[in-house]
Amino acid sequence: MPDKSNIAADDEKLVEATLQGDISSFGIIVERYWDMVIAFALSRIDNATDAEDIAQESFLKAYSQLHRLRNPSRFAGWLSKITAQQCVNHIRKNAHRRIASSYTTYDVDASAQLVVCNSNPGLTDEQICFVRQTVSRLPEKFHKVIIMRFVAGLSAVQIAKQLGKRHGTVRVWLHRAYQILRKDLVSLFEEVK
Amino acid sequence: MSCDKYNELIEKYLNGDIEDTELDQLKNHSLQCASCHKKFEHLGRFEDVIKSALSSATTIEQASDSILSKLPATRIVSAPAVLFSKQMAVAASIFLAVGLLAGFGLARLNADKQIAVPTAAKVPMKVARLNGTVIVKHQNSDLWYPLMPGSGIYVGDTFHSTAKSAFVLELEDKSTLELNQNSMLVLKLYNGGTQFHLEHGRLAAALESPHPPFFVSTPHGRVEALGTEFTVTVE
Repeated sequence: MPDKSNIAADDEKLVEATLQGDISSFGIIVERYWDMVIAFALSRIDNATDAEDIAQESFLKAYSQLHRLRNPSRFAGWLSKITAQQCVNHIRKNAHRRIASSYTTYDVDASAQLVVCNSNPGLTDEQICFVRQTVSRLPEKFHKVIIMRFVAGLSAVQIAKQLGKRHGTVRVWLHRAYQILRKDLVSLFEEVK
Repeated sequence: MSCDKYNELIEKYLNGDIEDTELDQLKNHSLQCASCHKKFEHLGRFEDVIKSALSSATTIEQASDSILSKLPATRIVSAPAVLFSKQMAVAASIFLAVGLLAGFGLARLNADKQIAVPTAAKVPMKVARLNGTVIVKHQNSDLWYPLMPGSGIYVGDTFHSTAKSAFVLELEDKSTLELNQNSMLVLKLYNGGTQFHLEHGRLAAALESPHPPFFVSTPHGRVEALGTEFTVTVE
């Protein structure tokens, strides 16, 4: 990972290099934001394979639309919007199959079958599904900042810049999202103590 | 320091704004204070749980390789750099030679539909000013080219100005259109009247008086120029 303080400027350079035809720069972008994009997808789609497809499609879409990105220093915020839209499109397409059409009907048993290869040794499949389900229930703005902060590793200042919001607003969102999740995940924290 | 101070540091840790020295202070304090230790430890565990639950089995390297292998062969190109390296000069020469040969061969075979030659009518407009990188796509083509000061303008051309770029189109009657950065403009009609479509961005027009019918359409509607100077912005 690059120096976090210069991530926006670094993103800008990578986007410009990609637009100049340097595909390896786009590879660096993928490596930098894969965790964030897959986290967005996994928290919206209950099928891990579909979530990976969506994550890949999001990067391909970003690549094809890169020339339309107005402010390359806000690449991460723009990418998160693309991923959210890809998730919505997927949910609409598969509504008849009840995939993630309602987060209240998240099928833990079915999902557990699809995350058995997860690299995390500390949580059971049921616990992983429980966390994903809980995160997915967050309001969109809270959901976004939690992933950008704890998965992408961006600070509140950087998230504010990416989303075009005030620093204070993002701090409040982070605080409230943390409070909600801490409360909703209390039983899980008791289990994994 | 009191625990109030460390609560602030925990808040800074949550926001990702904590300095290394402050983090060391917090860690040291949490070893002595059960209350702060509980909060700090919980936050760390929270971060681990979120990160772990929302990760996939695919490694970053695998994902990157897979995505790069699926990228389309055609990529937007921007204006060539001012300074050419030796390798670039050689590559450009090869490209030019291959292009000439391919063009000659295709013309002989009457297979010109394969290459991105504009099929629409050329219009008497010129690029009066160009800053930064502006790319253009001809009608019925998927290929983008850098717009140059001497580039021909055709009906159906789509212009895209990238960040920190802008250009001015000058019409036959000396009217001018300035397209700001991050804008996309399509020349829809040029046949007695003129119609542009502004997909997004900002267009500033200074028309000569009198002028033939002049329209600008946007995703939200179409406007007709009645005066001589106006601006259209599509967010």
